[in-house]
Amino acid sequence: MSGGPLTAFLEAGVRTATPLAYAALGELVVERAGVINIGLEGAIIGGAFGALVFADTGSVPLGFAGAALAGILVAALFALFVVTLRTDQIITGTAMSMLGLGLTGTLYRTMYGSAGASLHTPTIAPAPVPGLSAIPVIGPALFDQPVVTYALYVLVPALAWWFYRSAAGLALRAVGEHPEAARGAGISPDRVQWAAILFGGAMGGIGGGTLVLAQVGTFAEGMSAGRGFIAIAIVVLGRWTPFGVAGAALLFGAASALQTLAQTTGWTMPYQLPLAFPYVLTLVLLASARARTAAPAALGQRSA
Amino acid sequence: MTDAAFALSLRGVTKQFGSTVALDSAGFDVRAGTLHALLGENGAGKTTLMRLAFGMLRPDAGTIETYGTAREWRSTADAIAAGIGMVHQHFLLVPAMTVAENVSLGDRGLFRGFDPRVAADRVRRIGAQTGLVLDPAARVADLPVGAQQRLEIVKALARDAKILILDEPTAVLSPAESQELYSWLRSFVARGRTVVLITHKVREALAIADDVTVLRRGRVVLSGRSHELAEPAVINAMIGSAAPDEMQWPMADSTPGVPVISLQHVSMTDSRGVQRLRDVSMEVCAGEIVGIAGVEGSGQHELLRVLAGRLAPDGGSVRLPARIGFVPEDRLRDALIPTMTLVENLALKEAGGARGMMQWTSYEARALGTIREHDVHTSGVRSLASALSGGNQQKFVLGRELEGSPDALVVENPTRGLDIRAATRVLAELRSARTSGVAVAMYSSDLDEVLSIADRMIVCFDGRVTDTPVEADAVARALLGLS
Repeated sequence: MSGGPLTAFLEAGVRTATPLAYAALGELVVERAGVINIGLEGAIIGGAFGALVFADTGSVPLGFAGAALAGILVAALFALFVVTLRTDQIITGTAMSMLGLGLTGTLYRTMYGSAGASLHTPTIAPAPVPGLSAIPVIGPALFDQPVVTYALYVLVPALAWWFYRSAAGLALRAVGEHPEAARGAGISPDRVQWAAILFGGAMGGIGGGTLVLAQVGTFAEGMSAGRGFIAIAIVVLGRWTPFGVAGAALLFGAASALQTLAQTTGWTMPYQLPLAFPYVLTLVLLASARARTAAPAALGQRSA
Repeated sequence: MTDAAFALSLRGVTKQFGSTVALDSAGFDVRAGTLHALLGENGAGKTTLMRLAFGMLRPDAGTIETYGTAREWRSTADAIAAGIGMVHQHFLLVPAMTVAENVSLGDRGLFRGFDPRVAADRVRRIGAQTGLVLDPAARVADLPVGAQQRLEIVKALARDAKILILDEPTAVLSPAESQELYSWLRSFVARGRTVVLITHKVREALAIADDVTVLRRGRVVLSGRSHELAEPAVINAMIGSAAPDEMQWPMADSTPGVPVISLQHVSMTDSRGVQRLRDVSMEVCAGEIVGIAGVEGSGQHELLRVLAGRLAPDGGSVRLPARIGFVPEDRLRDALIPTMTLVENLALKEAGGARGMMQWTSYEARALGTIREHDVHTSGVRSLASALSGGNQQKFVLGRELEGSPDALVVENPTRGLDIRAATRVLAELRSARTSGVAVAMYSSDLDEVLSIADRMIVCFDGRVTDTPVEADAVARALLGLS
């Protein structure tokens, strides 16, 4: 599929946004339950490594399952400390990030040798949707993508429905706003937070798996490259709603895709500049007071 | 009488928190279809007992029965399923959610739908059936406290509660709202349901309840039909064999001295642009207690802070003495840092002017002097402020503010949340400060209390102040802006 530079830019934007959206939607669920998982980075890199190990068998679906599983394992450790043992969320999350990055690096070198960079996994090819992918400009961006991207089109509205139209979604939001009120209504905040964190881990893992299985085709140490932290910022920009988070993920994806645009148009801008853009945007967002008002009231509080 | 005649029975219930025995084999029977008042002072174990009944805590020993069936709650969900509802003293509502969402909270099922229209219909249906009318779409944060309390009851009724436990429900209500609640509870009981009312207001309890149980220090000390019990007997049971000496207060004569605090034509507008004080002129003299009354939001909050030198007015002149003590109403937010020791909390008062090394030995000696002089019960000056009971926290704050003989003392709702004994002690402290020549200004939302202690009365209405006689009718008229 050929197209102008704009088409290429949009296509790259959606592609870059996909792993971010998975991680951010998972983090959204975690945060609505009142927990901030700074250790999301650990789940993403864990997922990327899990994808590598499982996809070695030659099966891409198995790779994604391995990615989710690895993300869940990292998240379970986080939940054990934060929910059950009531440790500080920020410190524990930071430890999980470092653990994830360090452990995957070590395992990778142990299992595949220090010169394993040439390792290639099977990847999932884009599956153009007949008809829709032929729409000019946005067609290739939205409908000439791997299946993992399409899954998001279902996941986002489903999550919105679940948040606002299901009893369990109501319970989740109540735990994030006022855990004592939830407890008084017969809900176990611990159980809700555990479930949310495990879900967030699986989503972060799939995000990491997407990097390996749908984009790069190999694993590299530290390839999560701060996506866990960007995902946390995306949740802020998305004002803690599923559609908002999806839109914010697209914006971040587009920002890093600017470098593709710059390259294809022969734009002589240092490529670090567009790369830095999402990080700058993160800072501006986090500094805005407006973002705070939409946050779950009990976010980040250590449960009693 | 069979056990099934009791809607709720707790037998031989014991509960310990660390080394503190909250309940000591307490027995509590509530007859079905009655309103039962559970009386006791702060810390007597009333709330703990009811939390056991509601499954929020598990007893160390003892049994729980509802309608003659032995129960063991794993969580509140079990108690709710068995028909118990509880309205907590501090409401358990999610402020950011709507009325309908709060009522639906606790519905089960991962993918069970939550339909706002169905939930709203449920709220309206309960409103129509019980008269507890609420707007289903209103956000809880926007509701007045009276409506929030109705919502707590509606939440319990939505779970089909047959036994309703209310913890100090009238603490946040106006007298008219309290009456409304009480008559609703009576009608609820008349329909065969059961109510447990936790309170420390003896007179109200005897007036409204069928049965009364009194707890003291985790033990049941009195139980019976309310029409057979006399008020003094119940009070005696609550606070122990003999009433404290301070209950009888001889008011020593004191001639007011020179004006210590003086405000002339003071006006003040708050950050939201609302004018809080309008042309206020008043004095507080040495050796007198000026009582201040006012309906919530009449300007008394700002007036007290101007008197204490905590707030600078926009207009007019203020003359203040060098040393003023201030006891704000929310002691854990505005007067103490709960996670610091008593010594540190004492030192904090002067921290703004402190330079160089902290002289901890001297602060420790002063803290020790304060807790001795003001009868603060604590394990030592190194214990955390949060470890003290409310009464002892208040005595400590008062003692700290009175330390070094200040010229004036400004106090706001000094007995809020205190039991009779501690409240009596605090009022006695204020009297003795006055007798020793301190200029005292005191605001209390309890009119009887402020009338019992004031030499003069000032009433706030719409940001203006009026001098009134120390007399209930005159003050009541002034509170409403009549004169």
